[in-house]
Amino acid sequence: MTTSKTIAIIGASGSMGTAISSSLAKTGNYSLLLMSDQTESLPELKSSLEQYHSNTQVHIIDCAKEASWEADIIILATPFQAEKDLAEKIREVATGKIVISIANPLNSTFDGFVTTPDTSAAEELQKLLPNSTVIKAFNTTFAADFAHTVIDGKQVDSFIAGDQETALNTVAELVAGVGFNPIIAGDLKVSRTLENMQLLMIQLGMKYNYNWLAGWKILHN
Amino acid sequence: MYELLIENIRSKVAISEAEEEQLKKYFIPKKYRKRQYLLNGGDICKYFSFVVDGLIRSFTVDDKGHEHVVQFAAEGWWVSDMGSFLEETEAMYHIEAIEDVEVLNLTKPAMEEMLNELPVMERYFRILMQKNIVTLQQRVVADHSLTAEEKYLRLMEIYPKLIHRAPQQQVASYLGITPETLSRIRKQVAEKGD
Repeated sequence: MTTSKTIAIIGASGSMGTAISSSLAKTGNYSLLLMSDQTESLPELKSSLEQYHSNTQVHIIDCAKEASWEADIIILATPFQAEKDLAEKIREVATGKIVISIANPLNSTFDGFVTTPDTSAAEELQKLLPNSTVIKAFNTTFAADFAHTVIDGKQVDSFIAGDQETALNTVAELVAGVGFNPIIAGDLKVSRTLENMQLLMIQLGMKYNYNWLAGWKILHN
Repeated sequence: MYELLIENIRSKVAISEAEEEQLKKYFIPKKYRKRQYLLNGGDICKYFSFVVDGLIRSFTVDDKGHEHVVQFAAEGWWVSDMGSFLEETEAMYHIEAIEDVEVLNLTKPAMEEMLNELPVMERYFRILMQKNIVTLQQRVVADHSLTAEEKYLRLMEIYPKLIHRAPQQQVASYLGITPETLSRIRKQVAEKGD
């Protein structure tokens, strides 16, 4: 094993967690630590991930703190509502690490957010983890998009926001590695826009029946 | 998580409780599995690592593919490829966990920030580096002038518990002797001790 990065996926058994884990496993660039409260599906996920690439190492860890302790990068593939408790558990061991916030703080009727307009899920997470570097990523991509990063002949854009340049570049590399076109959108405050973009996408998806296979693409010359 | 580091700092400098609390934010707590590499030779070494638990070795690989152990680092020791870490050049060393390991990693920017904000840590690192230079100079002399047995006895003095924790092949490599010679020396030393 070399100095490849270790990524903890907290919430690995959910649809986004599984999609992200699978995409990362296919690159062969990372060691993956799978953590979920629903542990029963993880052994099967681990075996399927290990078949994607001979370099991919996968471990199941039943504790968010332990997984985050071993990780270089932590992906919280969990609902916004779970982040407060999780942040408490991992705060100490996440010091100095990149924590990726994928959550959109949707309300129960999917027509608005539980956060106020002057903040975002990512900014709230950053407040809970003051010594970590929170980066917003993968919130504008549906789980199904990970298996189809090209839709209608166009590579899906994946937006990233955060306050630290090195961390943004690390995450952009990760996003590109799984097949999306990474676009660094701005500082962490831009997460407000990114989260609203996905609220719109969800609403449009339901209205026009996109069947969860839809994504954003900026057309430009 | 930080107890051993703080104990180590206290053994060299006087540090206040507020400073102890403040320094925690600069270190990245990290675990590595046995045989996992903290650093792959040729990469840029990003961390100066304090060992909280477990055993680490740094080594080089020569043109013939033979490994040469440069340093062991157990609890309370620091390990890095300092040239690569400070100059941001390609690492000469590989650094590998011999056991499951827990470390506190310091990046160069975090270290600079800490030294600016906590002058007591500047003093700590000065004392640490002084000791390190002394040890390195002694090591150079030892390599030239000591017999294999004397080198072994010196190693036992510096790393008393290590002899039994590290694979014998790696201990032999550190001493620059064959595992067979090491085995013979160990017998001789044990007999003398009886």
